[in-house]
Amino acid sequence: MISVRPKNFSANLSAQPAKLDLNNLAPEQVALEIKNLDLYYGNKQALQNISMSIPKGQVTAFIGPSGCGKSTLLRCINRMNDLVDICKITGQINLNGENIYERHTDVAALRRKVGMVFQRPNPFPKSIYENVVYGLRITGENNRRVLDEAVETSLRSAALWKEVKDRLHESALGLSGGQQQRLVIARAIAIQPEVLLLDEPTSALDPISTLTIEELINDLKQQFTVVIVTHNMQQAARVSDQTAFMYMGDLIEYSDTNTLFTTPMKKKTEDYITGRYG
Amino acid sequence: MAIASTSANYRKVKNSLAKWIITLGGISVLFTLVLIFLYLLYVIKPIFESATVEPVGQFKIEEGYKVLATGTDELKEVAYTISENGQINFYQLVNSGRYKAGEKILSKQLVEDGETLRHLVDIGQEQKLLLDSAGNVQLIEPHFTASFDTGERVIMPSVRYPLGEAYLPIDENNIALNKLSFAMDDEKAIFVGWTQDKRLLKTTLLAEDDFSYDTTYEAQYQIIDYNANVIDDILVTPDLAMVFIRQANQVAVYSLDEDTELKATIIPNFAENKSTANHITAMALLSGGSSILLGDDGGNVSQWFEVATEQGREFKQIRQFKVSDTEAIIAIYTEQFRKSFYTETPSGEMGMFYTTSEADLWRGKLHQGDAQAFAITPRSDGLVVFTDQQLAIFSVENEHPEVTWQALWQEVWYEGYPEPEFIWQSTSGSDDFEAKFSLVPISFGTIKAAMYAMIFAVPIALTAAIYTAYFMTPGLRRKVKPTIELMEALPTVILGFLAGLWLAPIIEIYLPAICLLLIFIPSSVFITAFAWHKLPRTYKSLIPETWAPIILIPTILLAAYAAFALSPLLEQHLFGGDVRQFITNDLGIDFDQRNALVVGIAMGFAVIPTIFSMAEDAIFSVPKHLTSGSLALGATQWQTLIKVVLLTASPGIFSAVMMGLGRAVGETMIVLMATGNTPILDWSIFQGMRTLAANIAVEMPESEVGSSHYRILFLAAFVLFVFTFVFNTLAEFIRQRLREKYSSL
Repeated sequence: MISVRPKNFSANLSAQPAKLDLNNLAPEQVALEIKNLDLYYGNKQALQNISMSIPKGQVTAFIGPSGCGKSTLLRCINRMNDLVDICKITGQINLNGENIYERHTDVAALRRKVGMVFQRPNPFPKSIYENVVYGLRITGENNRRVLDEAVETSLRSAALWKEVKDRLHESALGLSGGQQQRLVIARAIAIQPEVLLLDEPTSALDPISTLTIEELINDLKQQFTVVIVTHNMQQAARVSDQTAFMYMGDLIEYSDTNTLFTTPMKKKTEDYITGRYG
Repeated sequence: MAIASTSANYRKVKNSLAKWIITLGGISVLFTLVLIFLYLLYVIKPIFESATVEPVGQFKIEEGYKVLATGTDELKEVAYTISENGQINFYQLVNSGRYKAGEKILSKQLVEDGETLRHLVDIGQEQKLLLDSAGNVQLIEPHFTASFDTGERVIMPSVRYPLGEAYLPIDENNIALNKLSFAMDDEKAIFVGWTQDKRLLKTTLLAEDDFSYDTTYEAQYQIIDYNANVIDDILVTPDLAMVFIRQANQVAVYSLDEDTELKATIIPNFAENKSTANHITAMALLSGGSSILLGDDGGNVSQWFEVATEQGREFKQIRQFKVSDTEAIIAIYTEQFRKSFYTETPSGEMGMFYTTSEADLWRGKLHQGDAQAFAITPRSDGLVVFTDQQLAIFSVENEHPEVTWQALWQEVWYEGYPEPEFIWQSTSGSDDFEAKFSLVPISFGTIKAAMYAMIFAVPIALTAAIYTAYFMTPGLRRKVKPTIELMEALPTVILGFLAGLWLAPIIEIYLPAICLLLIFIPSSVFITAFAWHKLPRTYKSLIPETWAPIILIPTILLAAYAAFALSPLLEQHLFGGDVRQFITNDLGIDFDQRNALVVGIAMGFAVIPTIFSMAEDAIFSVPKHLTSGSLALGATQWQTLIKVVLLTASPGIFSAVMMGLGRAVGETMIVLMATGNTPILDWSIFQGMRTLAANIAVEMPESEVGSSHYRILFLAAFVLFVFTFVFNTLAEFIRQRLREKYSSL
């Protein structure tokens, strides 16, 4: 396992604010509340009675072996699982106190509040500029000034502005993998979501790009609540404030990252983080 | 170790074998294509070659008298001369068992001993009129029969008398004739002559039965009222309809029916033509007899024929050929079956031209201005020139004078047409027919048919492809896609057959219904969709969401039924009971039963599977992570489709449409059976067309191998080849550009 760690990174981690009591968060501290969530693919149950609260303005990581349901859970948060015909969901996910699985929920509006970045960089075959403003354009925003400003702000936030500012109107497909992934992040934050879901955002990238993205995640939590799925435990340890360990569709353990990695409560968690399986 | 190396060797052999077989396959495909291309060019090439004239033989012949006429048999093996003393001599031109080349085979005296031939009129079809000094004529025809008695072909010359051997009295008063012209068919022979005492005679011989086997006749004499001192030329048309009488710069045209009326007068306006010419110096009838050629002293030859104008029919100058800058035209010789003609100037400069294609085929000098007689051989493949004691034979290579690039692609003024037009009419019943080879109408037809097919097919195929690839459940898609692709296997002859015999009459009868369908079906779909959208969820849940489009089936059927039920009513009240009549009479649009609408539907039907299949693949292969990316940004399905899916799939969709277009351009059976095959230039949806492909299919069986028609059909094939080649190259080029721009990861 390659591990790249900047010098000041551990310092960053240790300089964390006081630990949150994840079971007793004040309502204003909660970004997302998942309640008794069950998910079935046809007859197979993929998620079993998941309940957790994700705090605002922090990075929460889902870890676990392949097929444990961590990505499925992530995709429940912006209802991407709706696209799978045989998928059935019960339970609640509350965003700002409202259940997103309510019948009248406007899914498109929900997804504008809950942005998502996928495993593989997926820029559209358009220019860098058009990629960033895509989310604004589909809401009907065509004011050139607003768009220009959004492009600069989001590219700066995604730490990409310096590299691409002279080639905004060139194809996004000409960027490197790491740049593409940062572009996709810029695209997601251009519409000012509340929550940003990152589904293994660095698994297709080289170590240097991975490092850049990890630093970026650390900056992003100033503005957004970040939920990240990763199969890389070191990454979870480096970037997250809270970590949830999942196994076979169950949420096994959920606590602040330091605790989970240093003094896990459950045997399964310990086995996993010490590398006995996974 | 041994086993390992054997298996490695075996793999190596297999590898190189596969490599060679694949290379061979690829190269043979390219080779075949190049071969087809080269063969097409090989067949086409001769039509663009200009004519050549080569000397093939010269013979010293001692006649002792001036030669008035010459000629050969069809095979150019025997030549003859008719000289002033009334003698016809036949000469062998090629060595044969019995005679050597240049030897005299037969000699015959055509007039009484001691008399001389006053005048000879060459009237084409190898017939000559001999005149004596008392206004009597004899019609002779040098005749050749081939015999194979000795096992070798021997041409036996003889002289025939189509109107009997006796001299015919043309003038009742027995005055010698200065000018005479003649034409005959099986029942009638007409002579028009100018006597020494300045009377213009018209003598008609009516056969008692038929001249071809009985030469008895009844003669009618008539005088045409014509006031002149001298007449320069008289020409009777072979169809016995008109006579042209030239006196100096004026040509009078008389009809040759009972009354012999003056129909028109042709006076070339030299001043207006800005030519240096002042006088007409030669006149000739073009093959077919409807055009006359006038040569002048400024070196021009102009073609005139009768065209319909607002003032009735009148003779017009159609085109002019500049033959010489300095010399006058002293003679024009026309070919018997084609619209070619030869010109001659005093210095012996000759030129070969073709009127329809305005082709300047050949220039050259065959003699030094001392020719006594000139003739075109019966098959128009040679020339005979008799100069002082020398008979020269030339062979002419001039197979395709009627084809020029200009004649194929530009408007041409054909005989009898009021103005230059684009016309394809390759054959007709008569021999002297002017073939009209314009590729414009059939190329136009190809494009028109393809266009109407695309108008019908592209919206249906693309929307179907989008729906199948993007909205349909995978299970249903697995059934629907192969079913539509199976449509492609339907033989187009069946589609054409159904379109021509079943669909065309239905469209004709229910035309209002067809128009209504265009409105009813889309609007019924929209209304149903809207109603479905507004329906309470409890009812909606009765049908699984992915099966919901099934409710469209009864709606569409109902809409179609309504359209057909309303059709007669509408026809009754709006169109006075008959739409066809209404379109033709009130709108002034011609209506063909087999029209572009029928072709559009039938060929569209054939093209839909091609476009559907490729477009569906293109849309379906848009990576899921792109659609997810768009949806995750809060785009609706519809926005994702328009802004991401179609954009990314655009190279594939474009290819699909171009492949469909290529298919429509090359399609043969449907257009053959459903268009009526009328080569007209008209975009109207109610008119038929003829396409390049259908034209080849229709005419190839009846075209003579090696003829101009045959080669032009190959040219049509070549044009079709170029069409598809250009379409595909353009498509590939644009597709590559699009792919560079929109290729996804």
